[in-house]
Amino acid sequence: MAAVHGDAHGHGHDDHHPSGIMRWITTTNHKDIGTMYLWFSFAMFLTGGTLALGIRAELFQPGIQILQPELFNQFTTLHGLIMVFGAIMPAFVGFANWQVPLMIGAPDMAFARMNNWSFWLLPVAATLLVSSFFVPGGAAAGGWTFYPPLSTQGGLGVDLMIFAVHILGASSIMGSINIITTILNMRAPGMTLMKMPMFVWTWLITAYLLVLVMPVLAGVVTMLLTDRHFGTSFFNAAGGGDPVMFQHIFWFFGHPEVYIMILPSFGIVSEVIPTFSRKPLFGYASMVYATASIAILSCVVWAHHMFTAGMPTVGQLFFMYATMLIAVPTGVKVFNWTATMWQGSMSFETPMLFAIGFIFLFVIGGFSGVICAIVPIDIQVQDTYYVIAHFHYVLVSGSLFALFAGAYYWIPKWTGRMYNETLGKWHFWLSMFFFNLTFFVQHFLGLAGMPRRIPDYNLQFADFNMVSSIGAFGFGLTQLLFLYVMISCIRSGEKAPQNPWDGATTLEWTHLPTPAPYHSFEKPPVVK
Amino acid sequence: MTAESKKGARILQIAKAVIFAFMGIRKKSDLEQDAATLKPSELIIGGIIGAIIFVVSIILIVRMVVS
Repeated sequence: MAAVHGDAHGHGHDDHHPSGIMRWITTTNHKDIGTMYLWFSFAMFLTGGTLALGIRAELFQPGIQILQPELFNQFTTLHGLIMVFGAIMPAFVGFANWQVPLMIGAPDMAFARMNNWSFWLLPVAATLLVSSFFVPGGAAAGGWTFYPPLSTQGGLGVDLMIFAVHILGASSIMGSINIITTILNMRAPGMTLMKMPMFVWTWLITAYLLVLVMPVLAGVVTMLLTDRHFGTSFFNAAGGGDPVMFQHIFWFFGHPEVYIMILPSFGIVSEVIPTFSRKPLFGYASMVYATASIAILSCVVWAHHMFTAGMPTVGQLFFMYATMLIAVPTGVKVFNWTATMWQGSMSFETPMLFAIGFIFLFVIGGFSGVICAIVPIDIQVQDTYYVIAHFHYVLVSGSLFALFAGAYYWIPKWTGRMYNETLGKWHFWLSMFFFNLTFFVQHFLGLAGMPRRIPDYNLQFADFNMVSSIGAFGFGLTQLLFLYVMISCIRSGEKAPQNPWDGATTLEWTHLPTPAPYHSFEKPPVVK
Repeated sequence: MTAESKKGARILQIAKAVIFAFMGIRKKSDLEQDAATLKPSELIIGGIIGAIIFVVSIILIVRMVVS
């Protein structure tokens, strides 16, 4: 390395990174760390997906065939935890690591070493979570929301989960502090806040939300820990505590968390749609305001998750009204995306397909959300497959589809190579088909009364469950196609042109070569 | 313009920015004016006051509905 770089950079340039595995362990480069975040989250996505397939295999037929009820509950719990904390959130942080400095003209993240630390905490937490399957009593089995009393009664697996959540929370807080500082202090000259790309805006607001609610989660799991081991009774009615208080504290974190997982995907879609419509984003200012508005509203609606837990009518109505009002800024966003496409000269490459798929299916998830917000309906569908269908429409066809759109959109910039467009389109259409096959029928199951988190069910639910399981296996296998497309792009894809998307106008496309060099924007660009 | 009325106009502008933010819509020219004249700290304080007013007004509506 020194022979290659030493003479050209005699002033101690930081290009002297170690090679092999040490490069990745010691790296402080935002691109390396972004790459690691993305690979980690994809590995976790496959892990959580395998658990999902275990669940769907058991539910393929009524009766208990493959998973005993205890193990089934561990699968549903860890599926949720791994997908939320291990797959979706780190994937967005990976995108932020790669894209935020490139899009605002900064040379790196503000706290480069802390960036390394926030990533390397993740594999530790993932190891705790996955290894909890192998401890006496198995993994946590009380659902991803770990409500007491189940979570105070569980075995060692629950403790491992609590520590994992602590570590993941610390990582998220450090990541968001880094993102906030980078965005506020390291923008290129001329890049005022109101000129920032939407993806950067959505991440700025998301990072504030994370800093606000992650400590609440850390607090509630710590209370759980002291209840379990140090004789406190925060959530134990026998000791004067209140299990419903856990639900309030948990969902004060949990509902903003939903928006933490969806706002960055709004950002990605707001980059992809204008590029492939060859028009600027319609209503940029409204988009910024709507994002801020959604973030504020998300903090005052948490108890809609617990309408059946016992609440005065006044409380139910308050949370119902507040929740339904979120549909207003969300509607503004959907309107703006549609208006951006209106009369644009559109083309339908894979990122655009995923972005349009996102809008279409996210709106379905949003509408079923408004339906669940209505108290009398929610009391009927609480803890049924209707809720499962609703939040998978938001998190899979919302967050995950936006992540796919972003991956296809930026992979040429990251690697300097193009992905296979035909296979990318196959990936989209197969995902679209199998996703709906899996989850649309779950609306019917839920309305017919099938409860969630059960390994066995009445015969009347058999047909739709079989359809859903076939869809789930199709969807899971389709994601291996995504892995293949990405690996073949990285290893042997065609060389990407400087700007493969002629509608792209953000700094990374206009001011940097493709692939982006290891060190970019050492001299900040001037934004007009 | 007196200092009093200048202050009033500024508060009005903050209130307008916050109200439009809650609905999620804003004209580009108004936004540029906001960005040029208002300080972020003013907007954040305005946003918090707006959120409190929002919560209180929903509570009042709910009380009206159940009474």
